[in-house]
Amino acid sequence: MPFFSELFVSEILRKPVLDPRGEELGRVKDLVVVKGEPLPKISSLVIEKKRKLFNLPWSDLSIFNKRIIAANIYGAGLQSYELREEDLLVARDIFDKQIVDANGAKVVRVNDVKLEGLNTEAVLLAVDVGMRGIMRRLGVERGGEDLMGFLRMSLPHNLISWNYIQPLEPKLTAISLTVTRQMVAELHPADLAAIISQVSRKEGAILFKGLDAETAAEALSELEPGTQAAIITGMDTDKAADIIEEMPPDEAADVISDLSAEKAQEILGSLEKEDAEDIQELMGHEEDTAGGIMTNAFIAYRPETSVKEAIESFRRDAEEVETIYYIYVTDAEEKLKGVVSLRELLLSPPETKLSDIMVTKFKTVTPETDEMQVAGIISKYNLVALPVVDSEGFILGIVAVDDIIDRILPPAAKRKRRKV
Amino acid sequence: MSLYRKIALFLAVMGPGIITANIDNDASGITTYSVAGARFGYALLWTLIPTTVALVVIQEMVARMGVVTGKGLSDLIRENYGVKSTFYMMAALLIANFGTTLANFAGWAASMDILGLSKYVMVPIGAVSVWFLVTKGSYRAVERVLLFACLLYFGYVISGLMAKPDWFPVFKNTFVPQIKWDSEYAILSIAIIGTTITPWMQFYLQSSIAEKGIRKEDYKASRLDVILGCSITDIIAFFIIVTCAATLFPSGIRINEASEAAIALKPLAGEYASFIFALCLANGSLLGVIIVPLATAYYICEAMGWEAGINKTFREAPQFMWIYTALIVVSALVILIPGAPLVFLMILASVVNGILLPFVLIYALSLVNNAKIMGEYVNPKSYNYISWGTIVVIICLTVFFVVTSIMPAGGKI
Repeated sequence: MPFFSELFVSEILRKPVLDPRGEELGRVKDLVVVKGEPLPKISSLVIEKKRKLFNLPWSDLSIFNKRIIAANIYGAGLQSYELREEDLLVARDIFDKQIVDANGAKVVRVNDVKLEGLNTEAVLLAVDVGMRGIMRRLGVERGGEDLMGFLRMSLPHNLISWNYIQPLEPKLTAISLTVTRQMVAELHPADLAAIISQVSRKEGAILFKGLDAETAAEALSELEPGTQAAIITGMDTDKAADIIEEMPPDEAADVISDLSAEKAQEILGSLEKEDAEDIQELMGHEEDTAGGIMTNAFIAYRPETSVKEAIESFRRDAEEVETIYYIYVTDAEEKLKGVVSLRELLLSPPETKLSDIMVTKFKTVTPETDEMQVAGIISKYNLVALPVVDSEGFILGIVAVDDIIDRILPPAAKRKRRKV
Repeated sequence: MSLYRKIALFLAVMGPGIITANIDNDASGITTYSVAGARFGYALLWTLIPTTVALVVIQEMVARMGVVTGKGLSDLIRENYGVKSTFYMMAALLIANFGTTLANFAGWAASMDILGLSKYVMVPIGAVSVWFLVTKGSYRAVERVLLFACLLYFGYVISGLMAKPDWFPVFKNTFVPQIKWDSEYAILSIAIIGTTITPWMQFYLQSSIAEKGIRKEDYKASRLDVILGCSITDIIAFFIIVTCAATLFPSGIRINEASEAAIALKPLAGEYASFIFALCLANGSLLGVIIVPLATAYYICEAMGWEAGINKTFREAPQFMWIYTALIVVSALVILIPGAPLVFLMILASVVNGILLPFVLIYALSLVNNAKIMGEYVNPKSYNYISWGTIVVIICLTVFFVVTSIMPAGGKI
């Protein structure tokens, strides 16, 4: 069949399509893409003659390359075609749109699409996201090459293989490959958050929907509060609750406190009772105080616990808790008595009691302590976490070093995308 | 919704409209208003009301697109009209905004001159500190500088009051149009519209609204923000014209530059009024220098699909950093080179702006009427008559403005 070698779609747009006698059937207007294995493929050409559109199925083509496109049917045999929303057209729906490059973990814009012959089909091999693609579309690729050659530089080919592409529009998502969806899910949550913060809310939500609850929870906590609220609001309550449940309580509380009162109630209502209580407790504190950034997920055992018992319980408890480097020693009333570091715990003989190895002189803050003061203490004493206690010494939660760093040096996706 | 909640909602959404409006009164805006006040007194004040209406009509549509699509105008143009239109439009925007940056550096140099500081020291200092503030400064620092700069605009209200205008003719001229068959009068009135409604502002407004992530449900608050912003722009313009009209016009002083107005004010309205006027010019210029190059680099890179971002290095985002840096460096250098064709470059920029504006407006209007993009938020039919009417009038005036700029016989502005 007709297709060998490779070509760019922009090179054949507006090219004449000939019938077996060499007469013009019309000019290429667009290409229809359908899902295919392993790559999406061209199912037909849309050609235009005298302002009328016709559909020319791929199987009716006899020659298809940069120079000549010919069909083995005559003008009378052409089926007329109307632009339909459901069809996926290369020039209309893929050109100029933003896509996610799952390999490079960034958002790019499609300048051109590269096709390749595979068996008897034409498959979408890659997209061009570089300067070359823009120049080709402008019709000055050769000129650009000469100019760069004159400057003794080369014009790079900037192609991204279709295997790494995750489209952002719902219609296009239908032809994205399973491979890519896995790759996107495997991106670091911080990279995912950076991508989501770079595209419009609607597109971000689409990308987000494809993630499993755990990845979604991690990516969500890296986002700026407004975006978090918008994404959660746009989801149905059950899915939102699943994601919230995966988050550490302090971050969940931050997200929920930015929602509308109704939505927040709905979500809290569909959480497990215990989780909901933890979150509600945290929501009562001012945002820029120790209470506002602390989490109430931490590990605490009684003073009389032996090291052996503690390590056994730890194996079970640490699963659910984010900050595990300190074991807090509390009495029956939950008053904080001492702190044991994980290192100390692992290095001590199994029969020792926690009360024997715990440090009793430790730093604490109250829920009202300002975040900058908390940061100061954590930095000065080189802590990984700092307990928050009330005036009577009951432990309320802990502030972990990563939470305080996020407040002082927020990652890019948490800030506004633009600086002005 | 209770009144309290309405106010709280508005405070959360406001910002983009008001900031856009403030930077609209940059060096070239201030110059036009000063010249208009000095040359024709209060006679041109009435143009501010139709200008405000036109500004509101256009910016409301652009703001609505930002809220509904969550995308910037350059993204939408690229996605719907392809790479060719976008490329030429961005190339024109680059030239036009180079001119705008140049005008702002010129304003900065002139105001420093009045305050007794040499431009050969202050222009490099300004350029370097703006570059560092934006690329290395924290978001909070930049935001604080901007908000403070926006507040400084009220200096013009003070200098307007210090000029002790006669309020009866002021208000009469504001509400009763006066038509004079004088070519300079016509050109100045068009220039007032031209300096208020610029192409890059539409890009800036839509992006900053999309950026802020305002939800469709809160669109009403955003509209209020736009209307308030447009009104503030023209209230500041009103006081600039009043200041010059009350002081320079009766004495028959003709000026071509905003800085001349500041100097001429000294014997007429006192040292403080002159000082405030110069300070506000410096402030407006610097605000323009901060925002215009940055905004330009962003729109171009987003439309072309290049990596963009303040915190990126030259290696990570080469196009972005080079466009941004080159705009600042080249403009600052042109100001410092004696005998550089400053006037020619600024006229070139305003001509390119004039050519660009109809395209931007027509694209914006056809995008806002595209149901595939806007859904139920397309223009209502009756509103379309108003928008098309406004745009056609602006286009006619702009064409006239471009023609007179190219043919210097028409007068100088």
